[in-house]
Amino acid sequence: MTGIVSGGPASEGNEAVPESLLGIAERKRLARLADALIPGGRFLPSASDARVHLRWIDHTLAARPDLYPVVSRVVATPGEASDVLARLVNESPAVFEDFAFAVAGAYFLNPKIRKLLGYPGTKPAKNPAYSDEAEHYLSEDLLAPVLKRGPIYRPTPPET
Amino acid sequence: MDKSRNLADVLIIGGGTSGGVAGKHLAEAGFHVVCLEQGTWVNPSDMPGNRPEYELLGAKQWSPNPNVRGSQYDYPINDSDADTQMWMYSAVGGTSLIWAGCWIRALPSDFRVRTLDGVADDWPITYEELSPYYDAVAREIGAAVLPGNTAYPANTSPAPMTAHSINKTGRKVAEGMNRLGWHWWPGCNGIATREYGSLKQCQRLGVCRMGCPENAKGTTDVTHWPIAMKHGAEVITRARVSRITVDEKGRANGAVYIQDGKEHFQPASVVVLAANGVGTPRILLMSQSSRFPEGLANSSGLVGKRLMTHPYGTSVGIYDDPLDDWLGPNGEQIQSMQFYETDTSRGFVRGAKWHTMPMTGPLAMIGRVRGENPLSSDLWGSEFCKKMEDSCNHMVEWVIMPEDLPEETNYVALDPQLKDSDGLPAPKIHYYQSENTRRLVDFNLQRSIECHLAAGATKAWVTNRGNPSGHIIGTTKMGNDPKTSVVDKFGRTHDVPNLYIVDASVFTTATAANITATTLALAKRTATYLVKHARGQEVGA
Repeated sequence: MTGIVSGGPASEGNEAVPESLLGIAERKRLARLADALIPGGRFLPSASDARVHLRWIDHTLAARPDLYPVVSRVVATPGEASDVLARLVNESPAVFEDFAFAVAGAYFLNPKIRKLLGYPGTKPAKNPAYSDEAEHYLSEDLLAPVLKRGPIYRPTPPET
Repeated sequence: MDKSRNLADVLIIGGGTSGGVAGKHLAEAGFHVVCLEQGTWVNPSDMPGNRPEYELLGAKQWSPNPNVRGSQYDYPINDSDADTQMWMYSAVGGTSLIWAGCWIRALPSDFRVRTLDGVADDWPITYEELSPYYDAVAREIGAAVLPGNTAYPANTSPAPMTAHSINKTGRKVAEGMNRLGWHWWPGCNGIATREYGSLKQCQRLGVCRMGCPENAKGTTDVTHWPIAMKHGAEVITRARVSRITVDEKGRANGAVYIQDGKEHFQPASVVVLAANGVGTPRILLMSQSSRFPEGLANSSGLVGKRLMTHPYGTSVGIYDDPLDDWLGPNGEQIQSMQFYETDTSRGFVRGAKWHTMPMTGPLAMIGRVRGENPLSSDLWGSEFCKKMEDSCNHMVEWVIMPEDLPEETNYVALDPQLKDSDGLPAPKIHYYQSENTRRLVDFNLQRSIECHLAAGATKAWVTNRGNPSGHIIGTTKMGNDPKTSVVDKFGRTHDVPNLYIVDASVFTTATAANITATTLALAKRTATYLVKHARGQEVGA
């Protein structure tokens, strides 16, 4: 558990568990499945620490209601989380891909995850260029070797 | 059928990229233009690019694949016999709503491939003939280009805006290209670097391929149709054309369309098709009649044939420095024509154009870190976070866009079973990459890995091959001989003297350049020809 995102494990979270799409038991199940996909890394937290099974799966399914049948189907599949996912990979790869996409989509909706990965803000940020920015990135005669070699296009004969 | 509509001087079928250029030019010249568009107007505020869930929406509601999107305005496409997908968007502005914005001229050699390389066919026009039209449409679309690109002849007129910043990502790989002695140039984009006409300054959201919510990208619903409408053009939306009609002399005299389940007839003196490389042959094939039993304008048998698509490959490098790899436009940062021309020692003919693009967001990174390895066990679990931590904000991607040579075994036909929501036949795609294209992409991908490593990447790998480009090309070939082509050098069909085609289906060969600039230049040229020769133009009765 890397736990950089504030808050403890999912079961100890402060958020009320919404029941509009998934019940409490389903969310707990989703947390285990999601952690099997995204267990955390050097500085990224696990899926459950990032509240994938709470607010962010709801946000995901609100944007992509077409993913709900896949999520509910996988959550309802009995067995150890890692075994369930391994079976899906082999037997229903399209279902696995959609489920993994929904989990990852929920994970990356968490602004703290985006921030840890270096993305500015919760969504694409306005970042208009400074007036001299284009020149700045071409500084130190970056184009000089290209210009020195001269034209490279292939001459063409007159129209036949 | 409703037949109450007034006669149009010019009926344009398709309100997208090329239709917009033709519509504006013809309306400004005083023609009464009517456009039939199967989609509708899209409000920029409905685009997903400035919402947190933008990538989720970009994979479904804003997917470039109409089969995934499944909008009521799309027709289904049977791609079960193809190794790629046909990407497009149905709306006023068409696929320009979701184009990346790469504004690339073809090269002079592209028009002479038979003469130079002994393959495919020469175009019936030259680069020099098309050049003034490239200049004209660059001004209309709002192109941002640094002049002096050594890959082109020196007499190119300046674009209205200078180029975007190449950003940290572009500079990083440009340094690698310099170490290898290879050509590169700052990216050329149809995206505004300042307020320009109806366009706003680019905010560099990096989501251009989901529509620009800032109205900074050149799309014809912003740059062309409003001007055309001020000059009297009518744009009829949700209007799906079922067939072009002809008079007793075989001249086009209008089109039947379906709107909200009801049939209408739009009479016209001249008909211009602008429905893209799938939609245009589909409509021609649906316009079969006793006079044209194989479909309209199809005496050559080439309507729908010679489909080309630019099935591009991608490679990525991981760099130690944070690179702001999400920073737009998306859009290209730098491009290269180093390997554009034929060198037969490589084992293939023709070549590729390269460009770097930003990363859009973390969901899009998953496919890149997965690479060509299909095993989910190698991506998810303990490796997932490590790979994302290493990659996000540290990645540069090369896109390798190959020339795709024409073959008559690659084609668009009418599906005998699949129908759209109005009961019209859906298109069926038959398309497989050639061995030449595969070799071409493989060679260039390996060179792109060398560039990453020369630029200081700690790791580099191929992420994908055979990607759908949204470039649908060649299905109504342009040529001088009516036996071996569908349209003449001005886009007029050989068989029907008042039927013109202005979309990328007229390309004689695919070139390896992104197609929008060439498509719009050709559309501008055809519209200019129509205006100039209006007095002698045969019209339908």
